[in-house]
Amino acid sequence: MANHSTATSHADFVQHHFVTADQQFDSAKLGMWVFLVTEILFFGGLFTAYTVLRMTHPDLFAEASTELDTLWGTVNTLVLIGSSLTVAMAIKSAQLNQTKNIAINLGITIVLAFIFLMIKYFNWMHHFSLGIYPGTAYSFTGIDDPHASIFFSLYYLMTGLHGIHVVVGIGVMTWLLVKSLKGQFHSEYYTPLEIGGLYWHLVDIIWIFLYPLFYLIH
Amino acid sequence: MDTAESNPNLKKVQVQRYKPEEDPENHYLNAEKGIWSWLTTLDHKRIGILYLISITFFFFVGGLMALMIRTELWTPTKTFIQAHTYNELFTLHGSIMIFLFLVPSVPAALGNFILPVQLGAKDVAFPRLNLLSYYLYITGAGIVIWAILSGGVDTGWTFYTPYSIQTSTAVTIMTFGVFVIGFSSILTGVNFITTIHKMRAPGMTWGKISLFTWSLYATSIMQILATPVLAITLALVAMERIMHVGIFDPALGGDPLLYEHMFWFYSHPAVYIMIVPGFGVVSEVITTFSKKHIFGYWAIALSSLAISLISFLVWGHHMFVSGQSAMASMVFSFLTFLVGIPTGIKMFNWAATLYKGSIKLESPLLYIFGFFFLFLVGGITGIVLASIALDVHLHDTYYVVAHFHFVMVGGMVMAFLAGLHYWWPKITGKMYNEKLARFTCVMIFIGFNVTFLPQFIMGAQGMPRRYFNYIEQFQPFHQVSTIGAYILGLGFFTVFLYLVKSLFTGEKAPANPWGSRGLEFQVPSPVPAHNFDHIPVIVHGPYDYHKPMEEFQLGLAEFGNGHGETVDPDIKTGSKEIKAE
Amino acid sequence: MALSGYHLDFPLSIVLPHSLITPKKFLMSSSTHHISTDKTLLTVAGALFCLTLLTAGVHYLELPQPWSILAAMFIAVVKAGLVALFFMGLYWDKRFNMMLLITSLAFLALLGGYTLLDTLTRVHIIPGF
Repeated sequence: MANHSTATSHADFVQHHFVTADQQFDSAKLGMWVFLVTEILFFGGLFTAYTVLRMTHPDLFAEASTELDTLWGTVNTLVLIGSSLTVAMAIKSAQLNQTKNIAINLGITIVLAFIFLMIKYFNWMHHFSLGIYPGTAYSFTGIDDPHASIFFSLYYLMTGLHGIHVVVGIGVMTWLLVKSLKGQFHSEYYTPLEIGGLYWHLVDIIWIFLYPLFYLIH
Repeated sequence: MDTAESNPNLKKVQVQRYKPEEDPENHYLNAEKGIWSWLTTLDHKRIGILYLISITFFFFVGGLMALMIRTELWTPTKTFIQAHTYNELFTLHGSIMIFLFLVPSVPAALGNFILPVQLGAKDVAFPRLNLLSYYLYITGAGIVIWAILSGGVDTGWTFYTPYSIQTSTAVTIMTFGVFVIGFSSILTGVNFITTIHKMRAPGMTWGKISLFTWSLYATSIMQILATPVLAITLALVAMERIMHVGIFDPALGGDPLLYEHMFWFYSHPAVYIMIVPGFGVVSEVITTFSKKHIFGYWAIALSSLAISLISFLVWGHHMFVSGQSAMASMVFSFLTFLVGIPTGIKMFNWAATLYKGSIKLESPLLYIFGFFFLFLVGGITGIVLASIALDVHLHDTYYVVAHFHFVMVGGMVMAFLAGLHYWWPKITGKMYNEKLARFTCVMIFIGFNVTFLPQFIMGAQGMPRRYFNYIEQFQPFHQVSTIGAYILGLGFFTVFLYLVKSLFTGEKAPANPWGSRGLEFQVPSPVPAHNFDHIPVIVHGPYDYHKPMEEFQLGLAEFGNGHGETVDPDIKTGSKEIKAE
Repeated sequence: MALSGYHLDFPLSIVLPHSLITPKKFLMSSSTHHISTDKTLLTVAGALFCLTLLTAGVHYLELPQPWSILAAMFIAVVKAGLVALFFMGLYWDKRFNMMLLITSLAFLALLGGYTLLDTLTRVHIIPGF
């Protein structure tokens, strides 16, 4: 029979192999931060490719960047920052037992994420209509450089991978929303919110770097 | 001396000795019955066994491919395989052995099982993630098999561009498979780091964790930093094949060397991911079988971390002849000489541990002795390859092939087998045939040397690697090597046979067959379902052979009905007081 | 009390540091978890908005390279830092988690820097290729 002596909890959210709720929460956070390290290195490979290619094609990057719409890039940045704010608010609501606000904040986060994706979609569609496709499908003639497609290939790859992470994030937020509507989060237990939030903030941080690197080259 | 009264940060707790039961009736193997309980288990021990079975299967698949390669090389021209098939064989042999066997071997199979027990925990931090990690491995393995069945891959396990972009073989599927397996590796790393930080038993400071734990920690650090870069690199290769994005294609503005940099950023630390857990096993086995405290605990622990760091600084030594700049090559070469130092420190410390120890030459230690010689040769020939001038001549020859087989097979596989034998009684509750184990160990050692020593010579004489045909002068070397390969294969197969046989006819293992002071040997064999039925309390490090065995079997004394009522451990003065160091 | 499977021996006591003994409390103590105020979160969000508009504005100034990229990256790092410190809570969190973040960035710098060491020091045998 397993030991249930001193300090083991009967709170049903504490898993059997943990001794206290604090140990579980701290472990979850540590584990999530380790995972975020892997995400940083994952995107980092693409940032490295970007750096190498930009250093070898500085003029191409500057010229090609003008094809990207700075206004909508800026709007998207503000949208994501807003969604980070609402996620942080959702966590704060859980910590203060403001159960309704958790769901409201998560809902707004999801809406903002969808707005981000929509803007991205329209951006991409606009580029496709000009013949700006990744790789050898590229047929845009507006830039006088035989290697012009490389900038846009990188653009599609990096914003595409980021977009996939936004989609996953929407899934995570939706799942958290469902749980919060069932009243499963409160000041004693909000671990999934905390670690879901950490993931979302990283997605925001990655965009914070993508934005100047693609939209603000001069 | 600080007492609980004088120092408010110290607290006196009542502990009792919990002697492990011999021949337990209930343990993790019979706690739940049926195949479904195995496939959905959250028990780290069962997950370790699942991994063990899977990696064994892939080891023999990869081994079979090796035998086919070596048989083909019996004659200088075609023996029985087409050239194209030959290319696929060495690619798959490499990929399967590295990604499906070596990388998961000690961490996922042995580490998953032993780590929580050595830490005094009931499980890893994230048991469900652990199971997911196993299924990702299986999924990735399935995708690799799909790639094999779709025509195989002929690029070499390194998938260099531009050939990997242009070849019509199943590169896209294969890279996807490796991508998935990479995530399995990452999740194991996440789990281990969190477990080691957060799940140690009371009294277990960083200075009291086992060196095996330290090695898994260092490995996990490398896994989480390096594997994601491999993942994105292979994803880019797939994107190049599908959409011709051009990142690696000079005609489109890209750089093929960028691929190599990104690939080796992972693949060099990967070789350390493969060997460092083996180093952990060596520390465990050497101390147990010389009944002596490890010489230089902190030197070995910190040198593992040093390897974690330095392994990321040397990858360009795979690229000396690729077109990399001379400046970068020189920096990489210099740092590569540095990376041998932490490993050298370990070798000296292990030798010093053996000195004046009470040596028992049982099979785990015999494998470690084999490791010593073979890894030494492998490591030193690595330093040879680190010199740019020598590497220009030796790159892509059999010298390199011999070097990495010495470290990976002679080093890692020997260490893995040592660990497997060492922990076999703990995992299965059975003892294997010791005489046969020792005999087979010697057979493997001999077979290995016969296979790979000639390869150093023919490599230095110019025999290129990955070549299907060769010139007549190399035939004697190839033939000796092939004979050795069969001896080696027979040896591995014999190990498999007697270990499996022990499951059915082996004598029951005691809790501590080796007299180890390790925490995992202070619980019954096989391990109970929840590892410990008490909260263990750690007073000594795992190599304190001068302390009596009872002091390694302590746990918090029980009060109350043990079912969740909060109770204070009673603070009584017992008949004996130990100050935990 | 005898548990099945274990043989209890002589009792003895050990002196251990508090931190290594499992604590009595089994509920999460909110006092150990920092709760951000609305003011903090909104201020940080406001700062992020402003910095975004600032970086867009600087772009239109069309500074010469390398100042342009340096300015943009500097602002991006400040923004990312604000998100990491105050939205992700690193400011109040255990030091180790921040160390993880910094370590990942250090190794990323290694990947990029070392690759550039090669790329930028190559001798171009065929100029312009």
